[in-house]
Amino acid sequence: MAENENGFVPCEECGVNEACYTISVMMGGQVTQRHLCADCMARMNMSIATGNVKHLLSAIMSAITGTVAEPAEEPREDVVCERCQTTLSQFTKSGRLGCPACYRAFREQLTPMLQQIHGRVEHAGRKPLDTEEAQRSRSRHEELQRLLEAAVAQEDFEQAAVLRDQLRALKDEEAMG
Amino acid sequence: MKDAIVLSSRVRLARNYEDLPFDAAQRPELAAKCISRTTGALKGSRLGAAFELHRLQDMSDVNRRAMAESRIISRDLLRVPETAAVLIRAEDSLSVMMNEDDHLRIQAVRTGLDLNAAAQACFEVDDVLSRQTAFAFDPQLGYLTACPTNTGTGMRASLLMHLPMLTHGKQMGNVGQLVAKVGLNIRGVYGEGSEALGSVYQISNQVTLGRTEQELISAVTAVGGQLCDMENALRDKAMNEGRAALEDLVFRAWGIMRHARLMTMPEFYQHWSYLRLGAALGLLPLPVQSADALLDQAQEAHLCVWADETLTGQALDECRASRVRQLIAMEGGRLE
Repeated sequence: MAENENGFVPCEECGVNEACYTISVMMGGQVTQRHLCADCMARMNMSIATGNVKHLLSAIMSAITGTVAEPAEEPREDVVCERCQTTLSQFTKSGRLGCPACYRAFREQLTPMLQQIHGRVEHAGRKPLDTEEAQRSRSRHEELQRLLEAAVAQEDFEQAAVLRDQLRALKDEEAMG
Repeated sequence: MKDAIVLSSRVRLARNYEDLPFDAAQRPELAAKCISRTTGALKGSRLGAAFELHRLQDMSDVNRRAMAESRIISRDLLRVPETAAVLIRAEDSLSVMMNEDDHLRIQAVRTGLDLNAAAQACFEVDDVLSRQTAFAFDPQLGYLTACPTNTGTGMRASLLMHLPMLTHGKQMGNVGQLVAKVGLNIRGVYGEGSEALGSVYQISNQVTLGRTEQELISAVTAVGGQLCDMENALRDKAMNEGRAALEDLVFRAWGIMRHARLMTMPEFYQHWSYLRLGAALGLLPLPVQSADALLDQAQEAHLCVWADETLTGQALDECRASRVRQLIAMEGGRLE
């Protein structure tokens, strides 16, 4: 392994970063080593996590032997995101998800992948603030609730029934999105 | 002393709209929606007045590339100029890129080592936008991004560092290992492949999920500080034990930068690195900030903008040499 002029061994995959991982591949009784950087190692881990090992191995083989292997047939049934129609195999090939709903559709396969990449799968950190729309509907909700309680306290049950119906309608509206 | 090594601190947040597919940049009508929604929300807020909208399709190619050279926008934003746009607050290098890999990339840059200030500027814009619009967010996974490598905080905090003595002393291999061990990433900024021309490196957080923004910023700041200490120790040693050799390198670079008539980019980086080292050590009558400005001004698109024509080959090298001489002269570099 030759060092470059920056004094480090470059990654064999991207040729840019420093190779800080070494993986050993057994092929025909011979062990071949590949040197990868953290980025390429993470991508490789991503392939392993999604069970796309065949694809990964063919990539390693072709890198070693200099031949391009035929892509293996995808035997499993593909998972599809109902919202954007992106399939799991499209995602594992491109590394890009189709839409926010893909995170739910592919959760089973994504969770181990996120674990591999980040080491953790529970978000810690900032959250979006309530949108003004959400704030308005919440204050409307609170207002109705307050009026309803006041009506009940005054035993004005007719008014209370009207307010209860309005409150229900507001909840339904929210549930409809 | 850390500013002598850290050129700039950058924080960027990846954000996406809940109701749009991640590839909105590839679909003109959705891309337009992303731009109008973001611009409307930001311009209508208390921060709005200071932001200016730039659509990449309305700019010349060379102006776009000059913006990327100055890191006001990312190189990835140049991929689909037909749909890309950016809102810029010029006074403090704050930008909101639209239709990049994610719908939004909120980015702030500060000179020297100051990731906290850059982060605060990003958070302010993030809060203003999230009051008006719904971002894709999952309580367990955090902010949802097109690529799972950004999921969670969607934050990348990075430092641009000049590490000539660590590079010269062949220490970058050790540095890479040290950095990778704590979940960070380091790479050369300029040049192809494994080159790190000018000994300019970018160090940033690798993971984005499961740590708070503050934890990530602290980690990058701490390791950045450690690298500063390592680089400074080598600089001190060279000043104390091999000063003539160090000065020879610095002053040769100084001479070439002030007198050369043709300068290729790789040659520029080589001399620039010693020039900046000399400026940081107080050996040259050149403020470090001026050396840093040179780094942008000598890039191809900047030179074409300055010369107001498309330059290639030797004409470009001639223009670079001339621009470098001019800028150094403007700084009153008259020490002999």
